Amino acid sequence: MTTYVIPLTIGVLFGIALNKAGLTRYSKIVDVFRLTDMAVLKYMMTALVVSMLGLYVLRGLGLVTFPSVPATYIVGNLVGGLLFGVGMSLAGYCPGTCVAGAGEGKLDYLIPGILGFMVGAGLWGLTYEQVFPSISKIGNYGNVVLPDLWNISPYLAAVAFTLMALVLFFLIDRAGLHRTEKQTR
Amino acid sequence: MNSLVRYLKKDLWSPYIAGILMGLVGILAVWLGNNLLGASGAFQSLAGLVGRAIAPRAFDNLYFNYVMPPGVTWGVILMIGIFFGGLIGAASSGTLLWGKKNAANSDPQWKRIFGPQAWKRWLLAFAGGILLQYAAGIAGGCTSGLAISGGMLLVPAAFLFIGGMFASGILTARLVYGKRY
Repeated sequence: MTTYVIPLTIGVLFGIALNKAGLTRYSKIVDVFRLTDMAVLKYMMTALVVSMLGLYVLRGLGLVTFPSVPATYIVGNLVGGLLFGVGMSLAGYCPGTCVAGAGEGKLDYLIPGILGFMVGAGLWGLTYEQVFPSISKIGNYGNVVLPDLWNISPYLAAVAFTLMALVLFFLIDRAGLHRTEKQTR
Repeated sequence: MNSLVRYLKKDLWSPYIAGILMGLVGILAVWLGNNLLGASGAFQSLAGLVGRAIAPRAFDNLYFNYVMPPGVTWGVILMIGIFFGGLIGAASSGTLLWGKKNAANSDPQWKRIFGPQAWKRWLLAFAGGILLQYAAGIAGGCTSGLAISGGMLLVPAAFLFIGGMFASGILTARLVYGKRY
């Protein structure tokens, strides 16, 4: 029972966060790429800072162990990101926000959106053997984290990341580092 | 207390407040669930289930046998939760679209750029979904499974992915919006 309750509860909170941040809207997603509304970036960076500080401290206290982290293979991560950005800019969602939007009753998320992800997932699984081994061979560092790779303290890295995020927030909110929407009628 | 409830029910929170909740969700996933967040992986598990039912022979390959075996995984349950989270969030602000007339194509900005026809939205939503999922496969995760879950643990792959995503996202928006960018 608990095997279902925990992921279900975490998922519900996840969906609420996406909805309340406005990430289940086409306009919010595309406007971060137009640099006219930086909410998506603020949301992502805040989430990263909170979870990074929290998890490295909890690990330091011996309360958590990290699951296997995503693998780094430079070209694949980058090419995947480049293709992903095109899709996200066109459709105005990513896999998680599409599911949350479907829950809100948005039929374009529920039907063509989820169907598209299912077709894409089938295609990926069927072509994996032809594509993945060659692309993941280039610049493969395995399941590594930056503090280990660069041999620096993870706390120092997390604090440095936090400071970077705060500078970014200051630049956006106080120094106006974003474009303003053109008045079109 | 009343003002807190009023804030929680608001249509939009500050992205910083919502981001803090997202960060806590990332911590809980590791702490209580011993798992990383993710969404694209769940679609892989589900596609395996559906594919096995439709074309058992084609889906009996290395990927679906060993890399991402089909089934109702932790990620699939998480995804069901995300669905209901979206529902609860929208219900709290009275913005649910279930049964509403504009549910098929609800974004005013989309309509301004592409026109009011729902079929256009559905076509691009479908094509976008295929591209997003395939790209997540290549990258090794999506915005939640790689960018957030990897980034919070300082995984280099996450920052490569985020960099690529913003570069091409900006370029694509420029092309689509043209003079209106």
